[in-house]
Order: sequence, then C-alpha cells, then structure tokens
Amino acid sequence: MSEQIRNRLLLGVALVLAAIYLFPLYWMYVTALKTGSAMFATPPKFLPSDPQWSIYAYVWESRNMGRYLWNSLVIAVGAVSLIAVLGVGCAYVLARYRNVWIDVGLFLILMLQVLPASLMITPIFVGFSQVGLLETPRLAVVLAIAAKSMPFFVVLVRAAFMSVPMELEEAALVDGNSRIGAFFNIVLPLARNGILVSAILIFMQSFGEFVYSKSLIQAVELQPASVGLNTFMGPNTNEWNNIMAYATIYVTPVLAAFVLLQRRIVAGLTSGALK
Amino acid sequence: MKKILSSVKDGTGFDIGLVLLPLVFLFVMSGLPLVYNVVMSFQEVDMFSLGSFARPFVGFKNYVDLFAQPETRPILFNTALFVSASIAGQFVIGFGLALFFWMNFPGASWLRGLFLVSWVMPGLVVGAIWNWILSGDFGVLNFFLRELGIIDGNIFWRSDPHYSLWAVVIANIWLGTSFNMILLSVGLSGIPKDLYEAAELDGATMLQRFFTITLPMMRSTIGAIVALGLIFTLQQFDLFAGITSGGPNNSSNVTQYWAWDLSFRQYDFAKGATISVLMIIFVMIASVVYVRSTRHEVRG
Repeated sequence: MSEQIRNRLLLGVALVLAAIYLFPLYWMYVTALKTGSAMFATPPKFLPSDPQWSIYAYVWESRNMGRYLWNSLVIAVGAVSLIAVLGVGCAYVLARYRNVWIDVGLFLILMLQVLPASLMITPIFVGFSQVGLLETPRLAVVLAIAAKSMPFFVVLVRAAFMSVPMELEEAALVDGNSRIGAFFNIVLPLARNGILVSAILIFMQSFGEFVYSKSLIQAVELQPASVGLNTFMGPNTNEWNNIMAYATIYVTPVLAAFVLLQRRIVAGLTSGALK
Repeated sequence: MKKILSSVKDGTGFDIGLVLLPLVFLFVMSGLPLVYNVVMSFQEVDMFSLGSFARPFVGFKNYVDLFAQPETRPILFNTALFVSASIAGQFVIGFGLALFFWMNFPGASWLRGLFLVSWVMPGLVVGAIWNWILSGDFGVLNFFLRELGIIDGNIFWRSDPHYSLWAVVIANIWLGTSFNMILLSVGLSGIPKDLYEAAELDGATMLQRFFTITLPMMRSTIGAIVALGLIFTLQQFDLFAGITSGGPNNSSNVTQYWAWDLSFRQYDFAKGATISVLMIIFVMIASVVYVRSTRHEVRG
C-alpha cells in the first residue's frame, strides 16, 4: 500500500516537472491559436478562448510553406542517404576490429564530430564557390551536412554493430558465405534497428539545419523551412501568432515521430554518446 | 587484378574499402576546409579575390588586427560566460532531474525520455519560441516573474544589453538540460545498488552517500558530459540567430556567431576565418579531453 502511494506521489511530481519543462512547447501551440488581441492580453490567457484554426491554412498559404518544407525534406533525405551509404560500412569496420589503426580512425572521426558548423562555413562557402558547387546550392548543403553529421552517425551505428555477436558472422563464413554475403545477410539485418534509429536522429537534425542553408542558398525558392522561419522573424515583429503557427506546422511532424519512437531513440543515443 | 577483386569481395580489401570511402569523403569535405581556413586566415580576402586561389599573404596581420578591435575582448568574455553559465545550468538541473527519475516508479523512463523533445527540435524553432516567451512587454516569462514577486517592472530580455546574453543562456539551458539528464541517468544506472545498501547499513546519510558513492562513481561520466557540453555550447548558433542576432551592440555576441557575421554580413572572410581558426583549436583541445575521458569505453 505505502509502495503504491509512494509511486503515485513520485509520478505526480514527475508530471509537474514535465509540465514545467514542456511549457514552452505548450505556449507555442496556444499562441498559434490566439487572436491578435488575445495574444497581447495582460494577464496572458493560458487557454485559448476563441481558437483560430484558420490560421494554419493562412500561414501555410501566405508564407508558401509547402515549398519550404519540401526543400527541408529534400535536404534531409539527401543528407541521410549519403550518410547512411558511406557511414554504415565505416561503423561496421570500426566495431569489428580492435587495433591501433582503428583507434586512430575513431579518434579522427570523434575530432571531426566537434567542429562547429558556424566556424566551418567560411572555408566551405569560399571553397564551394570556387569549385562551382554553389550553382547547385541544395546539393552543396547536403554535402556540408553529411560531412558534419556523419561522425555522429558512425559513432551511434558502431554501438549497434558492437552488440551483434561476431560468432554469428564467423559461422556464416564457415558455411561458405563471402564477406560481402555475410555482411548483407547476417550482420546488417541484425543491426538494422540501431541503424534506423540513428538515421532518424540524423534526419531530425538535418530537417532543422540552419547555418549551412542560410549561408549557401541564396535563391528563396530553394531555401528550407528553417531559413523561411528566420526571414519571418524580423526585429520588430508582432505577428507572434503567425510565427508560432509556422513553428507548429514545422515542428509537429518531428515531435510526433520522436514521441512514437522515443524509447528506441533514447536507447540508441545513450549507447552511442558515452561508449 | 583478380587477387584485388577477390580481396575486396572476401578479405581485408572489403574492410579497407568500407573505411576508405567515408574517410576520403570526410577528408575532402572537412579536412580540406579546415586547412583552407588556416590558409585564409593568413591571406587578404575580400569580395573581389573570393573566386581566386592566389591572394596576397599578409602574415599575422589578420590576427593582430583582430585583437586590436575594441569588440574582440567583450565578445571573448561573452563566449566564456555563455559557455560556463549554460554548462552549469544544464548540468545542475539535468543532474537534479536525473536523480529524481532514478527513484524508480512506473512511467519514469517514458516521462524522462519525453524531456528530450527539447533536444530534437530545430534550433531555430526553439529560438522563435523563446524569443516570444522572453519579449519585454507581453512575454510570459516576465508575467511569471512578476506574479512570483521576483521583479517589479518588466525586463527587456532581448534589447537590454545587461540581459541579452542571459536571454540566450536561458534558452540554451532549456535546450540542453534534457540531453544532460539522459546521459547522467545512464551513468547513475551503472552504479551497483549493493554499494548503497552497504553504506545504508553502516549508517551513512543520504548526503554522505551522494558525496562518497554517487559522485566518485560518476567521475568519468561527469567528465565526458562537461566536455560534451563545452563542445555543444560552442556549436550553438541557431539560438543567437533566433533570439538576439548578437545585439544590441554586440552585448550578446559570441565568437561562433561573430565569425559567421563577419564573413556573411560584413564580407570580411579573412577575419571570419581567423576567428574560426582560433575557436576550432580551442574546441579540439576540449574534444581531446572528451575522447580521453571515454577512452576506456571506446576500447570496449
């Protein structure tokens, strides 16, 4: 009985803490539904008395959000594909062997993981403009994101490969599989979940990427949603309900995916970042 | 030729191929820009020489000029303040939450995971939300602070030079706390339970147990998290772009935003590259600490 009361009490406190922590999200959703005058009411209204559902259609149309989100999608899918194709094999080899060279490789990759994007963008911009990559700005952004995020992906996926028992692969080799065959038929399927979760994390990051897109993409019709949000927020804006509606449309799919896959994402993240 | 082919299919060639391809890609896309960055910091780069490789070398002139500028010192100081305040806030709140969720109860791990939504959201969206929460006249944060009796008049978080940096710090603490909490939870769950049972039998109080068991057992985790915090806060760019844009009058400017601002707003690519070189060296030192603190785990 006392055990039950303790659990209820702790759960109650946890819910309060979560409510406080997640308040900014709630505020985004509520503000998006407010009328212009309700937004600036004092004291602020915590429940929308007169929800303005039409705001989503209005913002979607007036800010041309379909195009922005499409560009975000193109960039994120491109970056994830490139990272997955290049990164999976790299992570596999780094997980399979233990010697000095592997340590050196891993060290280099961890070092690349830490380079801040806003500090790398100057040489990337100048270099890309010299080799003509700025002609295809979305591809340029995909390449830049791939270079930035691949180390993180490799570290996470390596942890997934580490949990695949090597004996299974050896048994497949004894049975007459080639290395390639064993890799695709045995190892890859067993690490599939870890790879998928890591890919989803990279996708979420690339979907919200800002600094490379802002600097490399000049043409408005090729810019992703993060840059669109940035141009929406002028220094003296008072359209906060519209901006929050934009943010809501932009972020809700990401949040939904996260909540659905939460347990796996947290597990994948914790196994990679500290190990 | 046949030998090479069969090695690729069935031997070490397979492994080397798998590693070499991504390493070449990373070398071209990260290594070369890194080198190019250093080169540019010793050159005179302007809008006209942007397209050519041959530019006049000016030695350490960019570095000397940089440190002669009056805003350099305050911005370096802001960076240090931003990083240390953010890490301290994220770590303390994150540790408190991790300890709380460590007391196992039904739903604990699910709720704890839910906190991580702050971390997966696009940085610019986080910036937009906090920009609105922190606004001076109608911001909801000022309302809460007034109601709690902490402040009398409104604080103009984004436009008052005394508070502008703290506006970004608050948003950044919110953004990073959950990540700290999750990693600290992993560290906590690695401590054997019987240590606590033994200490309890010996009559150690909760505080004593925390300082003699929890903290020492968590030492390598804490080291890794602080190093990661340093790396992540030095990467933070979106919140500056979303909340204050470094203003007013550079009062909330930090090096990683300034480097971008110099290159892409003022078209002073040489100075942007110069700051980048300095900061990247600093970040790399921090990452060596991080890699060292996780090294025993890396070896698996």
